Amino acid sequence: MTSMALTLFPRTQRAFLLTPDPELAALFQSLWPGGEVEWTVFERGRRAMEVIFNEPPDLLVVDNRLEDIASTEVATIVKSENVYRQLPVILCLDEADLRQPWNWNEMEADDFLVRPVSPVQARERVHLTLCRASRAMDANPLTKLPGNTSIIQRIQDLIDRKDDFALSYCDLDYFKSFNDKYGFSRGDEVLMMTARVIVNTIRGFTGIRTFVGHVGGDDFVFITPASIAEEACRRVVDAFDGIVPHFYDEDDRDRGSIVSTDRQGEVRTFPLMALSIAVVFNTGGRLKHFGEASAIAMGLKKKAKENPKSCYVLDRRSE
Amino acid sequence: MEEDLKTSAKGQILSIRDLPTLPRVLDEVSRLVQDPNTSIEAISKVISRDQVLSAKVLKMVNSPVYGFSGRISSVQHALVLLGFNVIRGVIISTSVFDMMVKTMEGLWEHSVGCSLATGLVARKAGLKDPDEYSVCGLLHDLGKVVAAVQLPELHKAVGETVRTMDMRWLEAEKAVLGFGHDRINAWLAQHWRLPVTIKEAMSYHHAPDRAQHYQQHAAAVHIGDFVVRVFEYGNGGDDQAVPLSPAALKILGLQLADLDSVMDGFAENLSEVSGVNFAPEDAGK
Repeated sequence: MTSMALTLFPRTQRAFLLTPDPELAALFQSLWPGGEVEWTVFERGRRAMEVIFNEPPDLLVVDNRLEDIASTEVATIVKSENVYRQLPVILCLDEADLRQPWNWNEMEADDFLVRPVSPVQARERVHLTLCRASRAMDANPLTKLPGNTSIIQRIQDLIDRKDDFALSYCDLDYFKSFNDKYGFSRGDEVLMMTARVIVNTIRGFTGIRTFVGHVGGDDFVFITPASIAEEACRRVVDAFDGIVPHFYDEDDRDRGSIVSTDRQGEVRTFPLMALSIAVVFNTGGRLKHFGEASAIAMGLKKKAKENPKSCYVLDRRSE
Repeated sequence: MEEDLKTSAKGQILSIRDLPTLPRVLDEVSRLVQDPNTSIEAISKVISRDQVLSAKVLKMVNSPVYGFSGRISSVQHALVLLGFNVIRGVIISTSVFDMMVKTMEGLWEHSVGCSLATGLVARKAGLKDPDEYSVCGLLHDLGKVVAAVQLPELHKAVGETVRTMDMRWLEAEKAVLGFGHDRINAWLAQHWRLPVTIKEAMSYHHAPDRAQHYQQHAAAVHIGDFVVRVFEYGNGGDDQAVPLSPAALKILGLQLADLDSVMDGFAENLSEVSGVNFAPEDAGK
């Protein structure tokens, strides 16, 4: 079991348990003999609040038998703060607490355990809650693709393992002028489309481990083996260029350009949106840190941007 | 009374959950999607010959789930955006007609023929994106298919009326139901959030000058429908010629004589689509 917990999480998970019950504390502390989940136990709820705010853990388990504060109140305080609400909370309840139906919209806990707590259930519920939280926390709210935390983690993992890979950074040219003219909800349509194009094109290479993430706004990344990176770029660009004109009104589409106001407030004509892709290769373990990859990519992107049409630039230095 | 029928019929039409197709194309696509190395182009080529499968993928990609309703009018684009897993799911969950197969075969041939003819008309008229017009032609009688599934008794009554009264299908629909498949098309296209081009072509192919925004699409399908009926390829439910609307020609800036080359093109390319046999593979054995 300890080996399973190791593969579930990239690092030790810090969990807080708020309980006056030494038996419950002992139970949780005994469940991860390999230390994959590290428990800090607080006997009093109020005292724990400040620690939670200063050093938010990965998981919070709150016992309803706390004497100084209601477990639901702890959960509500955490969940009502936008910077903390991602923190998953498991309540520890008695059967009797559930006789009346709960309003889970007001009480935004993530899960609950019922006494007597079964050790195996406690372990698996903790695992499930942690995994679900890491998925939900980082997903881009629009496209539901993994966000920055997952992207950085994935890249650093590959670098640490000295795996060969190609990291492709994509962004849209003239997205801003499109947004300015058509409004943000039409802009969101384009981002949703772009995400689908990239994901499906990359997944179209079957039997290969790939990754697609949404950095934010009109920035996306995908990771593929180096051998297919160029072909992947070509396919993504082709599909995008074929589809994007349909997101314009007919007259702009026919004209092949839009009239909008630029960053200096001047009225200008802009071409249809295009995709620029910068590809960085990690071969022979030349990259040491994720920051190097993104720095190289930013330099290449400038080059890709010089071309108003969709294009990709490969970092040839590695070859 | 008539309004009541219309309201309840509309409810019936829009509540359609399971729109079956004919086995031949479905079998072919099923084989394709089992091979993960199949290209989207290959799948798209086959699905573009089947009005029901095409309608299903366009409906899905334009649904609010994907966040760009009403934008996608091309089957190939739809497939790129849906991705292999979703396509496979759609194919797996599609059933086939177990009744009315003969009627449907005629309607499928008519649909695929009209798709070809409409694309040729669009090219002749020098319109942009002729493939979009082909999709409009393919889907122009989808309302008849949905009516057959959702309103089987009424559909049968329409067929009876066509035969006994020697009427056109559209006239018989109006006599029996109070509205035609063009109206059903409009309900479906609206409900499924299909692009306005397709919606207007489906809704106004019998009266292109009444389309509000995209008369060219409606007019191209109108003429495509005329051409495929001249060739008596497939069957739209009756064996009568559609009266050719002079307005349709005018909208596209075409002369009657221009149809000669469309007809020639149709005859030349018909073998490509008429090779599509919609009967099950073992039917002839």
